[in-house]
Amino acid sequence: MSLPLDPLLFSIAAPLAVALAIALGLPKRWSVRLAYVGFGVPLLLALHVGWHFGAEPKVAGYAFLHTYSTGLQGLGIALKLGVNGIAMPLFVLAGVVGFAAGLYAIQSGAERLKVYLMLLLVMQAGLMGIFASVDVFFFYFFHELALIPTFIMVGVWGGRDRTYAAMKLTVYLTAGAMFSLLGLIAIYVKSGAHSFDLIALRSALAAQPLPLLVQKHLFGLLLLGFGILVSLWPFHTWAPLGYGAAPSSTAMLHAGVLKKFGLYGLIQLALPLLPSGAAPWSHGLALLAVFGNVLVIGLVTMAQRDLKQMVGYSSVMHMGFAFLGLATATTLGIGGVVFLMVAHGLSVSLLFMLSTCVHHRTRTFSLDEMGGLARKAPVLAGFFTAAIFASVGLPGFGNFWGELTIFVALWHYSPAIAALAACGIVISAIYGLRAAARVCFGEPTEAFARVAEQTPPADLSWTERLPAIVLLAALLVIGLWPKSIARPINAAFAEYPAAEERSS
Amino acid sequence: MMTPAHIAFAVLTLPLASAAFTAFFLRRRGRTAAAVSVGVAGLVTAGALYLAFRGGRFEITKEWFSLGSLTVCFGFQFDDLAALMLVIVGIVGFCVHVFSLGYMSDDAAKGRYFGGLSIFLFSMIGIVLADNLFMIFVFWELVGFSSWLLINHWHERPSASAAAKKAFIVNRVGDLGFLLGIAMCFWTRGTINLSDLAVQTSSGHAAYSRAIPLLLFCGAVGKSAQLPLQVWLPDAMEGPTPVSALIHAATMVAAGIYMLCRIQVLMVPEALTVIMWVGVATALYAALCAVVQRDIKKVLAYSTLSQLGYMVAAFGLGSTEAIDETGRIVLVAAGVGAAMFHLTTHAFFKALLFLGSGSVIHACHHEQDIFRMGGLAGRMRLTFVTFTIGVAAIAGMPFLAGFFSKDAILALAYENNRAAFSVLVLTAVLTAFYMVRVWKLVFLGEPRSDAVIRAHEGPFSIRFSLVVLAALAVVGGYYRSYPRAFSGVITLIPEAPEPVHRIVLAASLAVLVLGAGAALAFYRCDEEDTLRVRAPGLFKALLALNLAFDRSYDYYIEKIQQRFAMLLNFVDRLGIAGLVRAVGEAVGVVGLGAQALQTGRLSAYVYWFLAGLVILWAFATGLL
Repeated sequence: MSLPLDPLLFSIAAPLAVALAIALGLPKRWSVRLAYVGFGVPLLLALHVGWHFGAEPKVAGYAFLHTYSTGLQGLGIALKLGVNGIAMPLFVLAGVVGFAAGLYAIQSGAERLKVYLMLLLVMQAGLMGIFASVDVFFFYFFHELALIPTFIMVGVWGGRDRTYAAMKLTVYLTAGAMFSLLGLIAIYVKSGAHSFDLIALRSALAAQPLPLLVQKHLFGLLLLGFGILVSLWPFHTWAPLGYGAAPSSTAMLHAGVLKKFGLYGLIQLALPLLPSGAAPWSHGLALLAVFGNVLVIGLVTMAQRDLKQMVGYSSVMHMGFAFLGLATATTLGIGGVVFLMVAHGLSVSLLFMLSTCVHHRTRTFSLDEMGGLARKAPVLAGFFTAAIFASVGLPGFGNFWGELTIFVALWHYSPAIAALAACGIVISAIYGLRAAARVCFGEPTEAFARVAEQTPPADLSWTERLPAIVLLAALLVIGLWPKSIARPINAAFAEYPAAEERSS
Repeated sequence: MMTPAHIAFAVLTLPLASAAFTAFFLRRRGRTAAAVSVGVAGLVTAGALYLAFRGGRFEITKEWFSLGSLTVCFGFQFDDLAALMLVIVGIVGFCVHVFSLGYMSDDAAKGRYFGGLSIFLFSMIGIVLADNLFMIFVFWELVGFSSWLLINHWHERPSASAAAKKAFIVNRVGDLGFLLGIAMCFWTRGTINLSDLAVQTSSGHAAYSRAIPLLLFCGAVGKSAQLPLQVWLPDAMEGPTPVSALIHAATMVAAGIYMLCRIQVLMVPEALTVIMWVGVATALYAALCAVVQRDIKKVLAYSTLSQLGYMVAAFGLGSTEAIDETGRIVLVAAGVGAAMFHLTTHAFFKALLFLGSGSVIHACHHEQDIFRMGGLAGRMRLTFVTFTIGVAAIAGMPFLAGFFSKDAILALAYENNRAAFSVLVLTAVLTAFYMVRVWKLVFLGEPRSDAVIRAHEGPFSIRFSLVVLAALAVVGGYYRSYPRAFSGVITLIPEAPEPVHRIVLAASLAVLVLGAGAALAFYRCDEEDTLRVRAPGLFKALLALNLAFDRSYDYYIEKIQQRFAMLLNFVDRLGIAGLVRAVGEAVGVVGLGAQALQTGRLSAYVYWFLAGLVILWAFATGLL
């Protein structure tokens, strides 16, 4: 079945068009209604793309290929859209998380709701664009398109310390983006392909690989740039602070989807274009990730007293597993990373959303001032616990397969590092279950009892439940039916084998 | 046409469907949820019996997913071992479901409770049927989750919530080793399928062949609560009593032993020796702890630990080496037979004892202190009779189930390792001692609290389960008359040669007389622990031994781990944040961006981005 339109282009255009309409002064009532369309259309189109991906004809592993003229062909820049087996799961992720974040924002009753929705829609368009772009220029362009609204939303709608958080976020993420931009430009110049088209770049560099030294330094540059964007230790401090301050829908979209841009860039660009550049860095990366992200940040997460900060730190820790998977440079390890990216995107955005729902009932994010929420709001407690167990890696949820495949790949890479990384499953269980117990179970603390007396907490309303159900359902689908993600990943790697398999 | 594989799939997934249905639609309809759950448990038991006796034996496997070099399969390996375990899970599960109808009738969250029981049944059956280590691990984690859910049932109690958390985390510590063992097995043996492993001839590098079984054993140490990870099981008694009977006595905690039996082809003598001593140590340690408990459920919990230690030791005792005709060293699987036999009888009599204690607790309005009971023999006739059968069975009374299975283990120990034999005999004395202590304090003498005076027998659902399990605790020991369906396991039960048999028989009769007699003579039906009054030094020492593990773990967590985490947090907030910022600001471009923001002109970033684009174009066109 084929649509009469390009689903990739329209998934980007629809939210942008709605954002434009809102910017042009649509009345609030209509803005909100149209926003449903702006978030709903990308979801439906993404599901369409995901469902039909297997059967679509492919060029170099890419389906739904379309090229649109930009007037910049002289520079080798064209709006070339398409998805391969790695892009497709993330494209669907962007659609699902965007829809949930949009629904949550619409019912949030934020101040200046119109502007907030408009910015979120622009961000959503950028996110869909990142994973639909085959052209490296637009891949970067869409990232910036999604990033700029993030800064504004944190600065304007953020919570405590929002100015400082926005500043820090901007400094770090701009630096990361600039480093990766430098690397991408250098690849473009050095390749001599005179094109930003990823497929053309890949075949040009496969025919004539860059000198080893150049590959090594360029990969290092990209690793630094993308690494900062994915909160590689010790460049992670923006993450908990930024997420702690960000309004919930922004945190959902950034932690859930935009943060994956860096990993996606490493997998889709750096590894295939610089196949020999990764090996010299892999050991250092693995050590940094296992000691820094998994163990140190894991312990730091245990020390958190603020729910949102805890979720932020836990997300930094889980990115450690992703970097470890990358370090193995095998289909299994990198495939596990893609799996984890999707699952973690869903679970962390669910946790951010539910943390805000908890905040509405307890009036605080402090874990010391909650307790016993399960009696007053059993459905909220149920969802919250499910989200915690998903992020702890319980089978049935997608995160389990991501972590499992990474551990198995990692054992082959280095049993010692695998053993250290596996301590992460204990650490995440400790902070996850502690948080669940302190939020939901036991007796209410005095502080919460006082709040509950003044405004008795209501259980999760249906407008809050719907986005939670969407995210949880997606986690269960990939948890029970892992083939849905594994099959396209295998297909993508059949096209561009991972470094390890190529050499053997 | 339903093939046995279809039925097995239905047996596995029906409880899941019941749990999902309950979660979505029956949250507030506790009675309906209970009916659905009990109905499903009945169907599962029927299916299990059909599969065991009429379903033949089969293997079936389907690819779940594959990624790169890894393929994870979803498959069933239904042999006699799985059939026996499935029947145990089905029968005990059904009894516990029925018992819960009466026991939990006043509970406000019946939907969640029965949904949890269904999830547990699903996860446990998954472990039983699984044909590969990955699938075992998946369901292994899921039983851990259902255990968490059910211990946490009365979640308003901080103690219940803490116990649930502790159970899950301690299990995760064991699973860490389990997971690494699976990965090691996958890479060094090339497969994680149980039947493929069984036919493999080479076991790979010697270091790996020792490490794999020991790492996998870590999983069993967590799940079956062996030293040093036993601390979660006594706390898990915070859950409702039927849950303790099903999960924390009869089935889930025995899954560790079952898993060991499934992977016995991976065992090497060195690993078995370690396993045996862990089991022996656990058996003795837990028996010592059981002597000083006041809470009836805690006594039973420590007794469970001790019996699990017995099973693990039995498995480890199977290390008798023999050389087969091709000159390869093979293992004599006597350990599997003895361990599974004791697992079977223990499932029946321990579930019976727990449900009996549940009946008592239910009648006494949730009084659990044995020193505040007494005189229940006349008030609760049926509970008294069935509990007595359970006590006699576990103490090793001839002609009851525990007598035969314990003797099989003792005979094995006598032949293979005299040191282990003497420790196990001592444990058996203690077992008879603390069980008779409970029995006397609960049922004999005069009532010592008001709740006990008004106690009376529970409803039919409670009595039904007690009778069924009591019957099984009587007949469960006659393994020679077990159905042929289980012959794959039964033939492995060791037969001691006549002189050994006589020695062991004499030993176990002496054990019974000594342990039971001492307890009967020593304990007075009083509100104060006789041991505490007569031998305060010994009592204190045992109590300190009991608390030693928890104290040292608490010390580690609070004084070391948490403080270290706080320190790292401090460093993270100040040190690295400042350091990286300093480095970052040294980079001019970033500093510029920061300044633009600090002056409050957020939109400056947009210009910044445009400048970036200009540089990009400049590069692209070759200007730079």
